[in-house]
Amino acid sequence: MIAGRLEKLQLIVVTGKGGVGKSSVTAMLGRLLSGMRRKTLLIEVDPRENLHHLFDIPPSGGDVVEVDPFLKIQHLEPRSIIDDLVREKLKVGFLVKRVLASPVHQHFTAGAPGIKEAAVFGRALRWLEGHHPRGIETPECIILDAPATGHGVSWLLAAQLVSDVVKSGPIGEMAADVAAFLGDEARSGTVVVGMAEEMPVEETRELIEAMKTRMQRRPEFVVLNALYPPVPDEGTDSEADDFLHDLWIRRRQINESERARLAAVWEGPLLELPLLPMDPGPALVGRLGVELSRWLSRQASGRGGRG
Amino acid sequence: MSGIEHPLQIVVGAGGVGKTTLAAAMALKHARAGERTMVMTFDPSLRLKDALGISEAEASEEVEVPVEGEGSLLVSLLDARRTFDRLVRNYAPNEEARERILSNRFYDHLSGALAGVLEYMASERLFEVSRSGRFDRIILDTPPAQQAIDFLKAPERITGFLDSGGVRIALKPWFDAKGRLRGTAKLGFLGRNVEAFFDHMIGLDLLRDMAEFFQAFAPLFDGFKQRAFEVQRLLRAPDTLFSMVSAPGPHRVADTLHFARRLEEAGHRLGPVIVNRVHPLPEGPVKATGGTREGVALLQWLAQREAEGIEALEDLLAGHHPVIRIPLLPEEPTNLDSLASLGEMISESFR
Ligand SMILES: Nc1ncnc2c1ncn2[C@@H]1O[C@H](COP(=O)(O)OP(=O)(O)O)[C@@H](O)[C@H]1O
Ligand SMILES: [Mg+2]
Repeated sequence: MIAGRLEKLQLIVVTGKGGVGKSSVTAMLGRLLSGMRRKTLLIEVDPRENLHHLFDIPPSGGDVVEVDPFLKIQHLEPRSIIDDLVREKLKVGFLVKRVLASPVHQHFTAGAPGIKEAAVFGRALRWLEGHHPRGIETPECIILDAPATGHGVSWLLAAQLVSDVVKSGPIGEMAADVAAFLGDEARSGTVVVGMAEEMPVEETRELIEAMKTRMQRRPEFVVLNALYPPVPDEGTDSEADDFLHDLWIRRRQINESERARLAAVWEGPLLELPLLPMDPGPALVGRLGVELSRWLSRQASGRGGRG
Repeated sequence: MSGIEHPLQIVVGAGGVGKTTLAAAMALKHARAGERTMVMTFDPSLRLKDALGISEAEASEEVEVPVEGEGSLLVSLLDARRTFDRLVRNYAPNEEARERILSNRFYDHLSGALAGVLEYMASERLFEVSRSGRFDRIILDTPPAQQAIDFLKAPERITGFLDSGGVRIALKPWFDAKGRLRGTAKLGFLGRNVEAFFDHMIGLDLLRDMAEFFQAFAPLFDGFKQRAFEVQRLLRAPDTLFSMVSAPGPHRVADTLHFARRLEEAGHRLGPVIVNRVHPLPEGPVKATGGTREGVALLQWLAQREAEGIEALEDLLAGHHPVIRIPLLPEEPTNLDSLASLGEMISESFR
């Protein structure tokens, strides 16, 4: 069922706080989709570029760069997206310069709440519809590694906010299109990433709740990343290093109780990913991919996803 | 200030690294040592509020945490929206101006979305509190920013913004009697094009609303600017010390270093770099067999990687800032004593 969704969705937004593994999950999903032979573009919107490390390729620096024949990545500065929008809509060179330099643009167009976010989605939508620079293949799916600022849901709600306020003109139209796109279950979906610790679980719970009440949508699935391995049943090993052993048992207990707290508000599919002794890079992404595939086949065979 | 070094301490770092807990721990330790202490904090976890015994407290309240001895501890819970509201109430020259701002449909979004507002509000409150003279020691936990640097840029950003042409333009009537954009009228043909463009792009209605907002806000600007200036001074004062909290792991080193440089370039005083939640390195060889091997090996691997990262960081900081390791604890602090011992841990390694 989830695999079926991943075969069809045009946009997958990966949200969650910083440092919980959003980029790793984005990379893992990217590889999965490219394995399905879907032309996939991963977009990272963040002041710092990270995604390329996970594939061991040079940074994108704003360009579309190839990971494999079906997978590309691109890093974007939110600010440059709005300037691009101005360039696109205003084809006369000296007017572009005037507008970009104008205080009205600096503080109002660029500073108006929500426009940046809406513009990122708007751009994704245009690319999916084939409106992109020549020489680039039209992606079948875009996965957005959303920035960690503020609440994840503010990203998803931005377009709606803009379209409520700006009723006409290209920005208004774009925002309305984006809001409709993000509301369309057949085309777009969200993956929420968190860790099984108190604050991240709290944030994940809030995000799921906000999606429900403010967008009438729910995530495709929720990821609990970096779980300590389960403690074996055979009981404690008296030979083992006591201190490390106790620390592990305790951290695992916290993971389990936080997972239960999340499960109390989320009955949907839950992917658990282990904390792995691996540095960020293709090997880590590959290992996480194996976990994902196993989980997807367990889901498909109806054996649930809780463990 | 009774000879206390750095009565003002600001705890910075990326989101989710444990700033809030460490700020509270440091504050409690100072309070127990007899100082009148205030900790200003954002978004404390439920567990931390429990540990401090303030689970019922509302945002933007000051709550007293009982401390034995001479000292005292006040916790101030900061909330962007409420601070902003209060600012409007304090600075708005009259009822009408206040109402105009509070009912503007942008206010709601701007109070959260205008770049740096939350950070600015934190330093604004800090200024208020530090001037009151009620405390020997103030510890400020900074808002959960993605980039630790955001907090520092806020006052400059606000003053820069207030000085910019954008606001000056916003302050004059934007639209002439015919509803045309004034700033562009005198530009003739070019102006008509620019105006048409803005109308086309975002609609003049939106611009009108935003201009309204800034005009409503105008009477507040002077006070705002003056304060932003004072706050900048306070953040660079010799009494003020920054502590930076970072997550462990070799991949954080670059970010941490980058921020440390930015801080100092901006004329701030950076004290210790606190690497939090470090997996402890076992002493001596580790014995693990059978089923427990996996978990113990993982912890060892993490400990090893993190130790390498911290060494690299120490090398790069070249002794200019002490690097304090706070271990990942089996239990998060759940009461005042465990919090205080965390505070001890920090100040001991600080010496
Ligand atoms: N399951 C995992 N096991 C081990 N390390 C992980 C795992 N998930 C993420 N990491 C590591 O944690 C760090 C943060 O992950 P990242 O994906 O960059 O997070 P985010 O994008 O949410 O900030 C990286 O160093 C990454 O390699
Ligand atoms: Mg990331």
